[in-house]
Amino acid sequence: MELIFSYQGSANLLSASNSHATNEIAVSVRGLGLTYKTSIDKRPTLKARAKSLGRGSKHVRIIQALDDVNLDVEYGQVLGIIGTNGAGKSSMMRVIAGIIPPTKGRIEVFGSVSTLLALGVGFNPSMSGRDNVFLGGLAAGMSREEIEDHFQEIAEFSELGEAIDAPMRTYSSGMFSRLAFSVAVTVRPDILIVDEALSTGDAKFKEKSLNRMKELRSDDRALILVSHAMATLREVCNDVVWMHKGKLVQRGKPNETISAYQEFLQVGKSAALDEDV
Amino acid sequence: MQVYEPFRAGLPPLIRYWKSLWSRRRFIAEYSRSELREQHFDSFFGQLWLVLNPLLLSAVYFFLIIIIQGSSDETRYAHLTATLFLFYLVANSLTGGVKSITAGQRLILNTAFPRIMLPVSAVVIAIAKFVPTLLVFFIIRTVLGLPFTWEMLWAFPILLITIFLALGLAITISCINVYFRDISSFLPYMTRTLLYLSPILYEASALKPELLAIEAFNPLFPILDSWSRTLVHGQAPQGSSLLAGLAWAAGVFFIGTYFFLSREREFAVRL
Repeated sequence: MELIFSYQGSANLLSASNSHATNEIAVSVRGLGLTYKTSIDKRPTLKARAKSLGRGSKHVRIIQALDDVNLDVEYGQVLGIIGTNGAGKSSMMRVIAGIIPPTKGRIEVFGSVSTLLALGVGFNPSMSGRDNVFLGGLAAGMSREEIEDHFQEIAEFSELGEAIDAPMRTYSSGMFSRLAFSVAVTVRPDILIVDEALSTGDAKFKEKSLNRMKELRSDDRALILVSHAMATLREVCNDVVWMHKGKLVQRGKPNETISAYQEFLQVGKSAALDEDV
Repeated sequence: MQVYEPFRAGLPPLIRYWKSLWSRRRFIAEYSRSELREQHFDSFFGQLWLVLNPLLLSAVYFFLIIIIQGSSDETRYAHLTATLFLFYLVANSLTGGVKSITAGQRLILNTAFPRIMLPVSAVVIAIAKFVPTLLVFFIIRTVLGLPFTWEMLWAFPILLITIFLALGLAITISCINVYFRDISSFLPYMTRTLLYLSPILYEASALKPELLAIEAFNPLFPILDSWSRTLVHGQAPQGSSLLAGLAWAAGVFFIGTYFFLSREREFAVRL
C-alpha cells in the first residue's frame, strides 16, 4: 500500500491555536450523500469514445459511495472507522478533507485538518523528498517559513537521513510511508485523519508511529483512523464507527462495535484482523 | 470553520477561489523552480541547451527557406528567430499544460487546493524557458545591425497578450486531457500544424489574400505578425492585429477557464 501525505486547511495550520475544549464539535456531518460518475476506462480516450459512437455503450459508471451519513466527531475523541472494502471509508475522509464535494448534505469542519490518505506518493516521484514535502505543504496553503520551521523535525522523525534529497522514485514503500507519516504528525493539526497508513513500515517504525499517535491523542485534538487493524483500534480509539456500503451501521465503544463487525464478517478473532495499523 | 456543501452547476465562488489561489502563489513559483531544476535548467549546460535548441531549430528552418526560395537575408533570419521563439512560448505552455492535471493526480486526490494552479505553473515554466531565448534574439538583432526604435516598446503589450493566450490554452487543454487522455498524443501534430500555419517561415505580408482569410482562424497569426513588425522591423503594430490577438486570447481564456472551473471539483473522481 502506498501512501500520500498532505496537509489541509487554513494557511495558519501550524500556528493554529489548539484551544478547543473537550467535547466541542470538531467535524459535523449531516445527511451526507456522495454519488459520482467515473470513467470505466482507466485512460478514457477520444479514440475509444469515437469507436463506441453509435453503439450506445456506456463510458461512465455511476457510483453511490455514501448514503445519508450523519456523524459528529468531538475534540478529545479518537474515532476508528471500520468496514469492508468499498464501504465508503476513504470517500468520507476525502469529503471531510474537502477534496471531493458532497452530492447531498452538509459538512462542517471546525479546525485545521491534516490528512494521511492511502494512495499515491508525494507529488512528483522524480523530485526529491524535500521538494515534495515543500510542494505538498505549499499546495495545502502553508507558507514556506512554516514548512521550513518544521522540516528538520519531519526529516528526523522519518529517519530518512540523506535519502531526503534523493528522488522519491528511488524510495522503498517503507520510506514513503515513513516520510508521509512524519509530515502528517509533525504539523500538529487540530484534526488528524489517517487512512490505512502504516501497513508498510517496519516493526520499529510502526511502534514509533503508534506511540506518536498516542501522544497526539489529547483533549484538544480529534483523530480519525481508518484501519483494518482491530487490535490497534481497540488500543488507541475511544469510539468506533462501522460502515457498510456507504451507510453507517453502528457506532459505539470500540469493543462492542468491533465485535459486532467481526461477527458480521464471520471471521471471528483471526490473526489477520489484528495485524497492521 | 470550513463548510462543504453540494455545489451547484457552474462556477465556484470566484472571490474565494481567487483568494485561495493567491495565497498559494508561492506554490506556483516553487513548483516551477523544482520542475526546471528537475529538467536540469538550473545548470549552465541546461540553460545553454535552452538557448541552443531554438537556435539550431532556427538554423534548420533558415536553410529550408534558402532552399525553397533560393535566397534570403538578415531581416528574414531576425523574423524567423523572433517569431519562432515566441511560438515556443505558446507551444511549451501547451505541452507543459496538457499533462499538468493528470500528472498532479496524487496531489489532487489528497489535497484540497485550486486545481488551476497546475496549468498556471506550466505557463510560468514556459515563460522561464522563453526569457533566455529573448536575450539571444536581441543579441542576434544587434549583430545583424537592425536599428532600435521606440516603437519596439510595443513588444510588451504583445507579450502580455501572448501570455494571456498561453494561459487560456494551457488551462483548456489540461482540462480536456482529464476526459480524453489521448489529446496529449495529438498535441505534437497540432502544434506542428500551427507552426506552419503561422507567419514564422514566411512573413504575413507575403501571403495571398485567399490564404489570409484562413488565418482568421489562427489565434497566433495576429500576435506573431505584430511581434515581427515591432521587434524586427521596429514599427508600431497594426491596431486591428492587436485587437484580434486580444480578442482571441480573452475568448480562449474565459471559455477555457469557465470550462475548467466548472469541472475541477470532479477531477478527483475522474483521475
